[in-house]
Amino acid sequence: MSEGHRAAYVAFDRFPSAKGSAVHIRHMAAELFDRYGGGLLCVLGGGGLPAYQREGGVEIVRFGAVVPNLLDRAEAFSAWVADRLAPHRDTLRLCHVRDPWGALPALSAGGRLVYEANGLPSIELPYAWPLAAPSTLAKIRDLEGECLRRAAAVVVPSQVIEAAVTSRGAAPERVHLVPNGADPVRPGLPRPPAAPGRYLIYVGALQPWQGVDVLLRAFARLADLTDLSLVVCSSVSPSRARPLRRLAERLGVEDRVTWQHTLPHDEVAAWLTHAELSVAPLTASPRNLDQGCSPIKVWESMAAGTAVVASDLPVIREVLGEHGRLVPPDRPAELARAIRVLLEYPEAARDLGRRARQHVEEGFTWKHARARLAAVYDRVEGH
Amino acid sequence: MTPCAVTTGFFTLGKCGQMAVAGCPACGRALCADHVADGGLCPECAAARNQFGHPAAAAAYRRRAHRHRTAQEYTDVGWYAGLDTYDRAPFDPGAGADQDYLDDGADALVDS
Ligand SMILES: [Zn+2]
Ligand SMILES: [Zn+2]
Repeated sequence: MSEGHRAAYVAFDRFPSAKGSAVHIRHMAAELFDRYGGGLLCVLGGGGLPAYQREGGVEIVRFGAVVPNLLDRAEAFSAWVADRLAPHRDTLRLCHVRDPWGALPALSAGGRLVYEANGLPSIELPYAWPLAAPSTLAKIRDLEGECLRRAAAVVVPSQVIEAAVTSRGAAPERVHLVPNGADPVRPGLPRPPAAPGRYLIYVGALQPWQGVDVLLRAFARLADLTDLSLVVCSSVSPSRARPLRRLAERLGVEDRVTWQHTLPHDEVAAWLTHAELSVAPLTASPRNLDQGCSPIKVWESMAAGTAVVASDLPVIREVLGEHGRLVPPDRPAELARAIRVLLEYPEAARDLGRRARQHVEEGFTWKHARARLAAVYDRVEGH
Repeated sequence: MTPCAVTTGFFTLGKCGQMAVAGCPACGRALCADHVADGGLCPECAAARNQFGHPAAAAAYRRRAHRHRTAQEYTDVGWYAGLDTYDRAPFDPGAGADQDYLDDGADALVDS
């Protein structure tokens, strides 16, 4: 106990949670802690999560202070992380962070910094905080650049964000692609009791750039398929779904939409497996085009062997390749048509799902992702 | 049998559930032999009391933390000093695009 940790993973995210980010943290942190015989995990708490846990060689500490303003909260988090890392200064060899708020204290904590850039706050923040001033976002962008330049390695999940981080000054030879992944869904998962007969599925969060409204509009165009339902497996709470539920009512489809909220990760796999099609209707917003992402819902649909219909965006092409049906983003009519065609040719849809699953199994399970991350750690340690 | 009420697990959390042998004097929760930390406290209360559960570690922590601060290692904290109220006000809870933004721990800037 008095011996310090050699590794720390720091994330300004609640962990665990129902979100894709939590799945990602789970696997990346596991690789780090396996390598270093344990370590310190600094994450956000709340929601009844314990402030402190010890699991074997891993200590989990959760930031629980209630700070209403987001930037004040980020500042308090950075200071809190600095305090948590301080006792391990002499032993810390590697800090793995996923945002500038964790990178700031980690940069002076001893040890090398691995910065995992899944997104960039300077791009992402205005979506949730539309009043943020351009000058403020420029300051945040400067901070991102500073952290990215000083990191021993930068890990990105897609080529789109790779371009975004190099444009912020990260040295290209220190940027490494580690796509997300999914573990193959074990065959024979029982059908969820609440599942409707034949259904399309959406899995994920509900921000406007996810395009769930486009999917609802497309679904309204399939009203003649009276046996078809839409299941929305939301990773966020019901209150966030209110605007979309109102839209479903306006479109007259509310009776055929089933809402599931914050289901445990292993239950989502069963919902995915028994769906006719999984839809990822991401919009062509700068958030998706310039920053990119590696949507875990698409990986998980593929792993479940369920055919995917998704927006034709560079980030989606990277993940789905030939193994899904791409449609122009933000066009409900085109999305509806693509869904209808695949429903009419179930054998083709099944074949698409099978090939997607095989593609994941052959190169994009979490085991593959962890091996790619391990190679990055090897390089960082070798320097 | 009274089951131990300490939360365990990494990604899937649950109660420990082993047979309790004591209760935490601070919060009262039932504790199994594995989860009795220093001073008979539960791990959470022990951590809250002395940061890291172990008196020696806590002392070492304070020493190092102090050395740290005085050596001004965490100088980058200065970045936040460059943010004024004009920068910060748009991030007040009421200024969010979604009024329910804080209800489910949506601090994450990146949603997958
Ligand atoms: Zn206690
Ligand atoms: Zn126990």
